Amino acid sequence: MTLFEVKDLRAGYGKVDVLFGVSLTASKGELVGIVGPNGAGKSTLFGAIVGTVGIRGGSVFLDGEDISGKRPEDIVRLGLSLVPEGRQIFGGLSVIENLTLGLTGRRDKHGEKGALERVHDLFPVLTTHRDHQAGMLSGGQQQQLAIARALVADPRVLLLDEPSLGLSPTVVKDVFDRLIAIAESGTSVVIVEQRAHLVTRLADRTHVLRAGKMQATLTKEDAADEAKLAAAYFGNSGE
Amino acid sequence: MIQAILDAVSLGGVYALAALGLGLVFGVMRLVNFAHSELITVASYTLVMTHQFPLLISIIFSVAVASLMALIMELVAYRRLRGSNPATMLIVSFGVSVLLQKVYELVFGALPRSASVATWMTGAFTVGGVSITTASVVTIVLAVVILLAMGYLVERTKLGLQLRAAASDFQTARLLGVRSNRLIASAFVISGALAAVVAFVNVVGNPQVDPRFGLDITILALVGIVVGGMNSLRGSALGGFIVGAVLSLLNVILGNGRVYAYSWMFVIVIVILLVRPGGILSKFATKERV
Repeated sequence: MTLFEVKDLRAGYGKVDVLFGVSLTASKGELVGIVGPNGAGKSTLFGAIVGTVGIRGGSVFLDGEDISGKRPEDIVRLGLSLVPEGRQIFGGLSVIENLTLGLTGRRDKHGEKGALERVHDLFPVLTTHRDHQAGMLSGGQQQQLAIARALVADPRVLLLDEPSLGLSPTVVKDVFDRLIAIAESGTSVVIVEQRAHLVTRLADRTHVLRAGKMQATLTKEDAADEAKLAAAYFGNSGE
Repeated sequence: MIQAILDAVSLGGVYALAALGLGLVFGVMRLVNFAHSELITVASYTLVMTHQFPLLISIIFSVAVASLMALIMELVAYRRLRGSNPATMLIVSFGVSVLLQKVYELVFGALPRSASVATWMTGAFTVGGVSITTASVVTIVLAVVILLAMGYLVERTKLGLQLRAAASDFQTARLLGVRSNRLIASAFVISGALAAVVAFVNVVGNPQVDPRFGLDITILALVGIVVGGMNSLRGSALGGFIVGAVLSLLNVILGNGRVYAYSWMFVIVIVILLVRPGGILSKFATKERV
């Protein structure tokens, strides 16, 4: 059953249109990938979904409720969290202060303690560095903090924008393993990645976004075929 | 000499509170609210107009009026400008400031309104042969208590955490659920309350309130937040304190030459900014511009 649906979404900045009718869906516990080259509109898509970029048409549904055009602070309370590109942790605040801020978006205020315990179990390094300044963590640790901070809000859908950015291959594998665990726990996970091979191996479905349009949707098996993936990613010429 | 130091600490404390009020709003909106001056002025008028009431009631009125005025300012003038160019917001704040000065002129007249407020603070007492004014001691105690309370609010409460996060990156704070309207309104209300405290100690020292009463202190508090570091609330308070304390000490040290106190203070400010262009507590290094 579809939990999250983006329908014919159009968005842009000023006089420039960036998205031209993008659609995608995600079911409960599904891990969905969105890949595409630089400038394809991937971050704009996430911005439009979470309310930081103005929508020019189309709709976003979460569990059947139309959330398009709502404010970012209201959308997170409805159960949709974003881990932004570049992590955007608050470097001057401690790890626990970053996590406490993440609790702001929870609908259920009684479960705060349990939510913190769960992310500490999933990312033990955050317990070790609980009172350290977040800006002093390594890139991988900061990414874990950014994901944990989104998770404590207890999202039904978790969006991640370029989670591999600036991380070493070992750390990337570690982060992606945890994302699989998060999806298996019932949260729908939608990952935007420029480095397609990182996400196609894990995702149940991968959408290819290019020039503001969904060009193809690949199953895990289709995406394993490099020729098929390259054709979708670069266009039919494969250039 | 002891009185001179107490006066310096006292004036520094007042400017620290004024700078903190400005710094709070700047932190969440990137707005240099020049009209903070009119919050101080309206709080001062309220104290003068309600001087016949018990002092505590008069102060509560003053805090309420300044906070309400700050909230109205945010709702009517600044809410639609969020995310605008800082220069645009600064010009609008100049406009709000001038408009309110004219409103005060129409309501209260251009000539100063005066009344005796907290006359018990105008006396002096002697400790070990040194005469100390009550006003300087009360002001220092008030400033310390309020700065400590603000420190607690900012460092230990959920609202404070949200204020610090928003000052660092408002968009990400909103993505986490921080309600922008509520947070910015809270910052304005607190800023209004701080303006009322500044008004109280100023009215005690100078009960001649005119429509431009809050202007000088606001300009110097603005200098203070630049000196301390605009991106840090601690920096704002420290910068305000330095400006107030240095100005007070210069007035004593320069004696008959005190007419040049402002000039010398700005020389010191320029030297500080040449050494620390981002302000004393700023983490940002100088950026090459050419």
